[in-house]
Amino acid sequence: MDRRGFLKFAAGGTAGLVASPIIWNTLYDAVYWTQNWGWIPRLKKGAGEYLPAVSKICPSGTGFLVRTVAGTPVRTIGDRNNPVTHGSITSLAASEAELRVSPSRIKKPLLRSADGAYNAIAWAEAEKLLKAKAAAAGKSVAAISGDPTSCTNEVLSAILRAKGSKDFYFMPDEEQPALAAWTSMGGRGRLGYDIENSDCILAAAPVLESWGVVAGNRAAFNRHHPVGAPSTQKLIYAGPVQNNTAAGADLWLPIKPGTETILMLGIAHLLIKAGRNAADFEHGYTPANFKEFADLAAEYTPEKVCAATGVPAQRLEAAAAMLLDAKAPLAIAGSELGSGGGAAPVMAALSINMLLGRIGSKGGVVCLPDHANVVKGAMKYSEIMARPLVSYTQDVASGKKPAPAFLFIHAANPVYALPSDSGMKQTMQKAGFTVAVASFFSETCAEADLVLPATLGMEAFDDVQTPYGSGRITYAFARPVVKPFGEARPAGELYIALAQELDVQLGVKDMPDLLYQHAFALGTPFRQMMEKGTVFTADSAAPLPKMKFNVRSLKAALSAALPGDAPVLAPVVVLGLGTAATSVPPFAAKTVTDYQICGKYSVAQMNGATAASLGVRDGDGLRLTAENGATAEVIVSIFEGVMPSSISLVAGLGHTAFDEFSRGKGTSVVSLTGITREPGTNLPVWGTAGLKAARA
Amino acid sequence: MSAETKEFKIKWGMVIDIDKCTGCGACMVACQAENNVAPAAVGGNKLRSLNWLTVFRLSNRKPFPDHEVAYLPRPCMQCGKPSCVAVCPVIATDKREEGGIVSQIPPRCIGCRYCMASCPYHARYFNWYDPKWPGDLSQALTPDVSTRMRGVVEKCSFCHHRFMKAQELAVSQGRDPYDLPDGAYITACTEACPNGAITFGDVNNPKHKVHELIKSPYAFRLLERLGTDPQVYYMSKREWVRREGDNYLENEKTGEPLKKLG
Amino acid sequence: MDYSKPIDAELFPEGCERCSLTKFTGWMAFLGVFFLWGLYAAVRILAFGLGETGMDDYFGFGLWITLDLAVIALGAGAFFTGALRYILNIDELKNIVNLAAVVGFLCYTGAMMILVLDIGQPIRCWFGYWYPNVHSMLTEVIFCITCYCIVLILEFVPLVLENRQLMKNRFIHALAHNFHVYMPVFAGIGAFLSTFHQGSLGGMYGVLFGRPYLFREGFFIWPWTFFLFTLSAVACGPMFTVLVCTLMEKITGRKLVSWEVKELMGKVGRTMLLVYTVFKCLDSFTWACGLLPVEGLTFDQMFHGWIYGKWMFWLEHALLVIPLIVLFIKPMRQCRPVFYLMLFLVCTSITINRYVLTVQGIAFPVMPFDRWYEYAPNWAEWASSILVISYAAMVLSLAYRYLPMFPQERELNK
Repeated sequence: MDRRGFLKFAAGGTAGLVASPIIWNTLYDAVYWTQNWGWIPRLKKGAGEYLPAVSKICPSGTGFLVRTVAGTPVRTIGDRNNPVTHGSITSLAASEAELRVSPSRIKKPLLRSADGAYNAIAWAEAEKLLKAKAAAAGKSVAAISGDPTSCTNEVLSAILRAKGSKDFYFMPDEEQPALAAWTSMGGRGRLGYDIENSDCILAAAPVLESWGVVAGNRAAFNRHHPVGAPSTQKLIYAGPVQNNTAAGADLWLPIKPGTETILMLGIAHLLIKAGRNAADFEHGYTPANFKEFADLAAEYTPEKVCAATGVPAQRLEAAAAMLLDAKAPLAIAGSELGSGGGAAPVMAALSINMLLGRIGSKGGVVCLPDHANVVKGAMKYSEIMARPLVSYTQDVASGKKPAPAFLFIHAANPVYALPSDSGMKQTMQKAGFTVAVASFFSETCAEADLVLPATLGMEAFDDVQTPYGSGRITYAFARPVVKPFGEARPAGELYIALAQELDVQLGVKDMPDLLYQHAFALGTPFRQMMEKGTVFTADSAAPLPKMKFNVRSLKAALSAALPGDAPVLAPVVVLGLGTAATSVPPFAAKTVTDYQICGKYSVAQMNGATAASLGVRDGDGLRLTAENGATAEVIVSIFEGVMPSSISLVAGLGHTAFDEFSRGKGTSVVSLTGITREPGTNLPVWGTAGLKAARA
Repeated sequence: MSAETKEFKIKWGMVIDIDKCTGCGACMVACQAENNVAPAAVGGNKLRSLNWLTVFRLSNRKPFPDHEVAYLPRPCMQCGKPSCVAVCPVIATDKREEGGIVSQIPPRCIGCRYCMASCPYHARYFNWYDPKWPGDLSQALTPDVSTRMRGVVEKCSFCHHRFMKAQELAVSQGRDPYDLPDGAYITACTEACPNGAITFGDVNNPKHKVHELIKSPYAFRLLERLGTDPQVYYMSKREWVRREGDNYLENEKTGEPLKKLG
Repeated sequence: MDYSKPIDAELFPEGCERCSLTKFTGWMAFLGVFFLWGLYAAVRILAFGLGETGMDDYFGFGLWITLDLAVIALGAGAFFTGALRYILNIDELKNIVNLAAVVGFLCYTGAMMILVLDIGQPIRCWFGYWYPNVHSMLTEVIFCITCYCIVLILEFVPLVLENRQLMKNRFIHALAHNFHVYMPVFAGIGAFLSTFHQGSLGGMYGVLFGRPYLFREGFFIWPWTFFLFTLSAVACGPMFTVLVCTLMEKITGRKLVSWEVKELMGKVGRTMLLVYTVFKCLDSFTWACGLLPVEGLTFDQMFHGWIYGKWMFWLEHALLVIPLIVLFIKPMRQCRPVFYLMLFLVCTSITINRYVLTVQGIAFPVMPFDRWYEYAPNWAEWASSILVISYAAMVLSLAYRYLPMFPQERELNK
């Protein structure tokens, strides 16, 4: 081997290899391998459509377009032609196409066996069981509905009535205390707010995130805040945490949790001082007890209000000035948690609206008619609203009332959503037979004897009657634009079939018939709504009520002890974390931030001063003990947008059911709160709690 | 250095009004669903979760009660002078098509992550594992955007498939695909924002709303002073928000352009 | 057969003593444990994905890149010593140039192993050649490193062929001879490639104009970090070779290279260190006082807390200046422990430099509302790094035992 031979050998070998296809083919094949792993899902192609539908899981009944590909929904998109949302969509409704196929979706009827495991059964068997149990229960039946906007409630309540029971309840929501306040002050029908036409809103409720018809509120916010032009609506938000609503507000009034009523009275005081009195009342009447109210408000001087609520005096005055300057101001009160609020804050807010002459005015408080009933024997909406579920479950738990032999739970997850002293779990345990009709396997399903898979709004006929918070009558059909997932069935059809089996005369033969009768009652174009998914809206023509101040109840509510300087729970609701019945939608899970949850621990936000007083720093572990004895391990996050001594936790975590996206993550805020009775109205209230905090 | 600003006739841009954003996350949800980004569980590592668009919370850094909050959605800035394009060794990312969108081709990407190191906006995300759609979730995949594989970088594309669709539609209707009317092509996040905080359009086209909006005295761009020339603009009437958008020395005024280097 | 010698004695370099095969096997097994642990991590990473590491979207570069940059800098002894020996004909260096080549070979092949793990799609690694982006410093790095790796293999092969038993084969003998004839060519190509990719590695950071911690102005298309990396590599490369040699002497208990040669290497490194230190300090000063303020930033903002504290910055500089002074003072330089310590400190400073640029450079939150995050390599990154180190130790052990690496060994151990 000489030098030349070596070079020849090397050069020849290289050239031969390069000239052969071996290298190149292998390389190209390698590219395809790395692009086409068999375990990565492929996209499916097919004809696409955009079909108008509504969400039955988003509390505001958001209307949207369902984008389907070969019949399968892949996206939900805001519908610009929708007269309520004008194209707005909530983060919950935006994730509904994916939620439809989420791992927690129930595919088949499930029957609990003796050992507690759930076994899939056939629908025929489930229906037989349902009929037998319902028939055997006699008049000892009860039902809970988590969907107050649906006409299926009529069917369910009619069945109960026919059997001789009146135990039909709605899940606690914002409307129940509001309606109590409204009625006690002389209001008739339902309370509504014309947010769209107001130019200055004082909201002691998270109106831009979870209160009322959020998608509609957001649409109004959008139109009043044109990009690159001056805004035409001011928003004042009062609450303990600088939440998403505060981020959109012109003025944030930081107040301690549970002091909304005092704040409202403080503002009323300033309004009266500025000369808003009986003379300003519109519509030719003056509430007889204005003087009495003025005397009460006179006690709530800025000094007293600032001391009690923690709001800076300047801001209180600025808020009053903004309301006085506005042409169409509007005051709204609700609860941070979306349920468990009292009636007094609403009374106080309504009092402000009365002082400002906003009852029945454009951009003010609206009087809406009660939902129409078309099913024979159905219970009236306002009648159901007037009776709190928690009073019933507490009575059953304590033995004051007999447990139902048959309990229906429709589209609700009360086991998770209600505080532990609500008696809900005990009621389910004591009940003879419990049926949960649900789309997702919730904590309530995990306690039920029979779990029936229900369709979503895009999969079946249903409807959305004017949700609470709306300023107009709205009516939308849920239409089956896609096939039900798995063996899910429409709840409405299921109840109608059950009624027929039980020989209950409803006067409707199926869901389309029920919807038709509703449309007829409202005078809406049924065919158009059915075929094109159009949404009906109308201004309310209900006669204006003569309002009076409810000074007695306000006084009673104000007699309750104020939160001191000890740490208090300040819950925050974010729709991206879903509702109790949905849990966190898989596609919204990434919107849950690291200041809401860290690993499996909820994050407690507090301001620097609070943290210093607790001796903790950002990132430290903290052990919270609530008044009801519940404890939670949380991680501290410093956020200066929280009231001193308030500890903010996001709601919607701490699930023990559902799927891997949310199970076992964080703490349920509701579990830390206990139920008390609101003095004056005796309504069950919860949502905040004193906390003991210790470093962990 | 080696990357020079390329000029295009069409320059797709976004104007995000921070004063309108309340941080609800609908844009993030829509983005994930539209672009087939695999979901992740609650409480997971935020630095490992693919978010083509992510919402940052801004603070005016004052203590209670003077504290103010704002939310800033951050898509890919589609920089005029992208720091990422120049560094990619295999041209898996490029800025060359009319419209000025910075492309990302996952099947070309070797996963070196140099582009991620280069991007000051953290707009680029890596597939640390193969993407997973548990259970039946893959049924909800859209037909528009190919799923990615492990070991590659991905990022916001301004929903480029929607641009192509709008162009196809224009061609089929006999219109000029390079002169789309305002709103004919918008991104999924623009469409989803319930507050209308995002405006999308061609910043070079006087018929498009963004063309005027970017001239607002309240408009600014993120880290503009670094010279990345982003095609995403933000707006806020609040000075502290605008100041959070860039790095300033104490004596410098908000919005002051950079001094010349050297 | 001489039973007093180990059974594989026939394979040893001419006239050199080695430990018993049992002892050697034990040593290799000891290294093998680490190797297997690393191999397990590597297999997991390749099978499941890079999620097995501690990296994330904020720290796309981590321990591996730091290690790569560090070993490539430290392995620069190969090209620099090679260039001095074969091109400038500094004859004394022949006594250490074999070791330098082996160390270089190990550093570069080790770096390649890590890179295969580090890129998300190793099967596509050839895309760098197929779809090259000529604007990217990394393209240049890919080109030069792979080419230089081949050069190093070509430099390593003749040494393998020089094994006493292999040399008995006529073909191999001829082959080895031919390789030797071409060695200056390899050294030349190596010097060219290595200078460029050392520079390009630095350039990779300097061009990142979106990262104020890293961005540097420069000359033509090359940012200053380009030149700093080359200079730092030629400074620490020879020093690292000396350190490896000394470590081998300590472990084996045999003298391998004469003190004069080591001191010469130290002096060569020291001279380069002087140039590097001057430019490095100038660079740091202009960065802190010129470039950062222009970008609206201050020097203080670049640091955060303990882990990203300024101490690291000052330590990096101190570990350049102190050894530089000490190595210029003859009596101190000739105190051997001090000499070795100083070389070690310089290598440490260069490693800190590579770490700081890789991790702290991308940890600095450029968006004012973003925050500092911490990065800690996880077990899989450590294990795979140890895989490479144990691989290097094993190959070096084999090379020492069977290959004639040290021409002076026989003489020095008489």
